[in-house]
Amino acid sequence: MKVRVRQEGACTIVSIQGSADVGASPALRDALLRAVDAGATRIVCDLSKTDFICSDALGVLITAYLKAHGRGGFVRLANPQKRLRKLLETTRLDHLFDVFPDVACALKDA
Amino acid sequence: MPPSLPKEGRGPSVPSRPTETHDAAGWIEEVLPTRLTAIRESERRVLARLAALGYGEDHCFAVRLAFEEALINAMKHGNRMDPSRQVRLAYRVSPERVEICVADEGAGFRPDCVPDPTVDENLQRPCGRGVMLMRSYMDEVIYSANGTEVHMVKYRANPVRGFPESGRRC
Repeated sequence: MKVRVRQEGACTIVSIQGSADVGASPALRDALLRAVDAGATRIVCDLSKTDFICSDALGVLITAYLKAHGRGGFVRLANPQKRLRKLLETTRLDHLFDVFPDVACALKDA
Repeated sequence: MPPSLPKEGRGPSVPSRPTETHDAAGWIEEVLPTRLTAIRESERRVLARLAALGYGEDHCFAVRLAFEEALINAMKHGNRMDPSRQVRLAYRVSPERVEICVADEGAGFRPDCVPDPTVDENLQRPCGRGVMLMRSYMDEVIYSANGTEVHMVKYRANPVRGFPESGRRC
């Protein structure tokens, strides 16, 4: 898994490429929570190239969401592929996160 | 029948790497140290067997997810990340089904008492989704009476819930 963090205006884009499995979730936690702890509150996770997410990694996304939300911000999910969309539906996390078809849509009104 | 996984007491030593044995019924048994990084190595071996038998990507995704969740639960919640404890894994992959058994050395739990992570008041909890995911993505999930062992089955003929099998192979 590769995590790339970049800034786009007021938003932080976190691109997760590959498998966010149990072996990779510490790196995801490190990258995502470091951004949040550094003050990022408007975060878009680009899942277009994410092929797997375990519950541990979902927990990282939720922790980031709670921290950002607590400061008036958000964590949005962009372009999850079909298996991840289904996973978000199964866990009902699509009711917690706003899910967008792509990063550009997620950045609108951000 | 799966091999009897739970062992009374603890073994004399915990291996630093998974150790693997085979039996005549086709079960492959491994003993894993309680270390999350040990999961990936075993997972690769299981998924390689699915790929060799031509299982589709949706089935591979489902088995991978349930496999990880079972082992994470065994290490984190069962063995409480105690490095002196081990996790016993057994799996059997045939053209018709995938069977996975995971046993930990913890005190056990009652899976039916795990709060439902999909209800609104639990959606913000960062953990507690493992059992639900295993049940959602496998066709059978059976716990031993004390909850220290789980036996899961995924049938090839059954599509993964929510997906018509794409036909693409993993």
